[in-house]
Amino acid sequence: MLELRSLTKEFGKTVAIKNLSITCQECEFLVIFGPAGAGKTTTLRLIAGILKPTSGEIYFRGQPLAGVPPEQRNMSMVFENYALYSHLSVYENLAFPLRAGRYPAEEIKRRVSRMAGILQISELLDRRPGFLSGGQRQRVALGRALIREADVYLLDEPISHLDAKLRHHMRGELKTMCAEKEATVIHVTHDSREAMALSDRVAVLYKGELMQVGSPDEIFHRPANEFVAGFLGEPPMSFMDMEYGVEDSQTVFRLPEKDIRLPASPEVNAYVKEKGLPGQFRLGVRAADVTVSPSADETHNVPGEVFVTETLGHRNLLTAKLGKNLVQLMVPSEFTFKVKDTVWLDLNQDNLHVFADGLAIAHPRPRAS
Amino acid sequence: MASVTLEKVWKKYGKVEAVRGISLEIADREFMSFLGPSGCGKSSTMRMVAGLEEITSGNIYFDGEVINKVRPRDRNVAMAFETYALYPTLKVYENLAFPLRAARWPDADVDKRVRDIAEIMEITPLLDRMPTRLSGGQQQSVGLARALTRAPKVFLLDEPISHLDTRQRGRMRAYIKRLHIELGYTMIYVTHDQEEAMALADRVAVMDEGLLRQVGTPEEIFHNPADTFVAGFIGEPPMNFLECEYRQEGGRHVLSHNGIAIEMPPHSEALAQRGAIPRRVTLGIRPFYIDIGLEKSARHTIPAEVFVVEPLGDMTVVSVDVLQTRLQIVSAPDFRAQHKQILWLAFDPTRTLLFEAETGHALTDQA
Repeated sequence: MLELRSLTKEFGKTVAIKNLSITCQECEFLVIFGPAGAGKTTTLRLIAGILKPTSGEIYFRGQPLAGVPPEQRNMSMVFENYALYSHLSVYENLAFPLRAGRYPAEEIKRRVSRMAGILQISELLDRRPGFLSGGQRQRVALGRALIREADVYLLDEPISHLDAKLRHHMRGELKTMCAEKEATVIHVTHDSREAMALSDRVAVLYKGELMQVGSPDEIFHRPANEFVAGFLGEPPMSFMDMEYGVEDSQTVFRLPEKDIRLPASPEVNAYVKEKGLPGQFRLGVRAADVTVSPSADETHNVPGEVFVTETLGHRNLLTAKLGKNLVQLMVPSEFTFKVKDTVWLDLNQDNLHVFADGLAIAHPRPRAS
Repeated sequence: MASVTLEKVWKKYGKVEAVRGISLEIADREFMSFLGPSGCGKSSTMRMVAGLEEITSGNIYFDGEVINKVRPRDRNVAMAFETYALYPTLKVYENLAFPLRAARWPDADVDKRVRDIAEIMEITPLLDRMPTRLSGGQQQSVGLARALTRAPKVFLLDEPISHLDTRQRGRMRAYIKRLHIELGYTMIYVTHDQEEAMALADRVAVMDEGLLRQVGTPEEIFHNPADTFVAGFIGEPPMNFLECEYRQEGGRHVLSHNGIAIEMPPHSEALAQRGAIPRRVTLGIRPFYIDIGLEKSARHTIPAEVFVVEPLGDMTVVSVDVLQTRLQIVSAPDFRAQHKQILWLAFDPTRTLLFEAETGHALTDQA
């Protein structure tokens, strides 16, 4: 319903967005996710009409938006420093978009009270923005954007300034509110949990380019490249540099200085056959997908040296050294290891992602639960 | 290295009581974290240890000697703060060597020390580079290494990695911890991030509004929090709380939330026998220790309505309402449910904690 076609935005010599093509469906909660400087806010501003593209187009329900000023696009927005009306109370700030829509007074009161309740700012309705904390102001701005009916809601890091507990709460409320309104939302964040929790689909941006678009499940379990793989998940995916070779007519990944061998999967062999050896192979593994044993056995046959262990509470995080590579994995809190102990990891085709020159060529097979 | 003791330390800024009578012993070579929300007094406390703030009342000892009036530079503390200003005209090697040369170490000792630290921090290949040729992450490592080159009595860190992205932060955390294991400095690490404190520290001092709420190992504050503040502050997603009533019925201990029966934790039965459990209690249970059943069963007896399901990739967080109380549950990554679906919960009784509803204090045998 909202289509970005080959959108490019340059500021002088800086290319903020390069050739971006994304489609947002009707009633979809689309998250634009990426680190600082990726071009997320620029993209949102282009959609809002606050910025004009250098090249490319934006279409809404089949019609081009070029030449349509922001106030005629029927898009409700909240940006990180979106100013509240400082001379109006919180109540009036929230009511403002509804007064413009000529709702009756009781309806306005009902909606404002309901929104204030969801945002946990009911006691603040009489205050002016100048007397609110940053987190409270941010919630009022969010409420003001969501209280009215709009074709598209554009949210730029709308809950980033809230403390962890409140952010959790607001995440759930935001998701439910938008589902109830059947809203079309484009939400920008750099927080991977937020992106995963809220979205129907995620568009991952890095240095102005689109890395991948997909459902949370797709981008988490089948990341298209090393950047997406490494940017999602806490703790982030661990990467290992490995050599590809043939031994005893078997194809393997090798860590020569530590005599570690991992069998290469059929997908990898097919890739090499078709495209030849890449400049670099890297293997990726998620902390939750690998287990460890204090002694070697059939499945735990890759040795690593304990670099450090960290207490997380319900489990511990173990960092193991494999040659020059550091691999992080979750262990039960009862496991205690000393630094420089040898531990045995199960690394195999079922938990490794394989990247050739940064692009994913093999993913773990999904596990039956 | 030195042990650090705080004895009834107060800090007042005019009428504002930022630190209210903190007493704490930090052993020689211990990694102690000061943890709490912003404004709790953790930075003020650390600055008094550093000598950057005057102590309003109370005493601070290094190795048993009062240092209240000792000037910061004579206290032999090393500090690392959020911003690492490297000397831009000196190579990395010379940046690291600078504090040692200032302390007039012989060249051979300087060289050995710089190379040892560089080895541990894995920055040996960077020694000949200029700071402007380093990435942000590399600058962090060099800045931290430089603070470490001297052997200070106490190493003070104030939120040194909070502004890094997740990947860099995780890496630096592992290095800081490894450095402590290798070098054994007495460290005081200020942070608002409970995961960081838990991961790094030998013991954590949890502070709130100028007061010390609890000091303990990460395991202790996670599994045996002293009060509902500590319980709710540590752990992500945070602990769930339910207001409950306790009563004895025909010799049985009965715990319930608005009529819904909840299994009494076995570790509280001795207390209950002694009559030490009040009628109104706050029950605490962490999201990891609630099991979800699609149907009612012998174990799954607490009805809950689904509010929202958040699949996060490596786990799924399910928010439910038990009557009027919202709870969060960490479930398997592939668990899914509909908004308003009814689920049946089982609380792990060995992980259920009870607190006095009035005061928030934990009801434990140690009380």
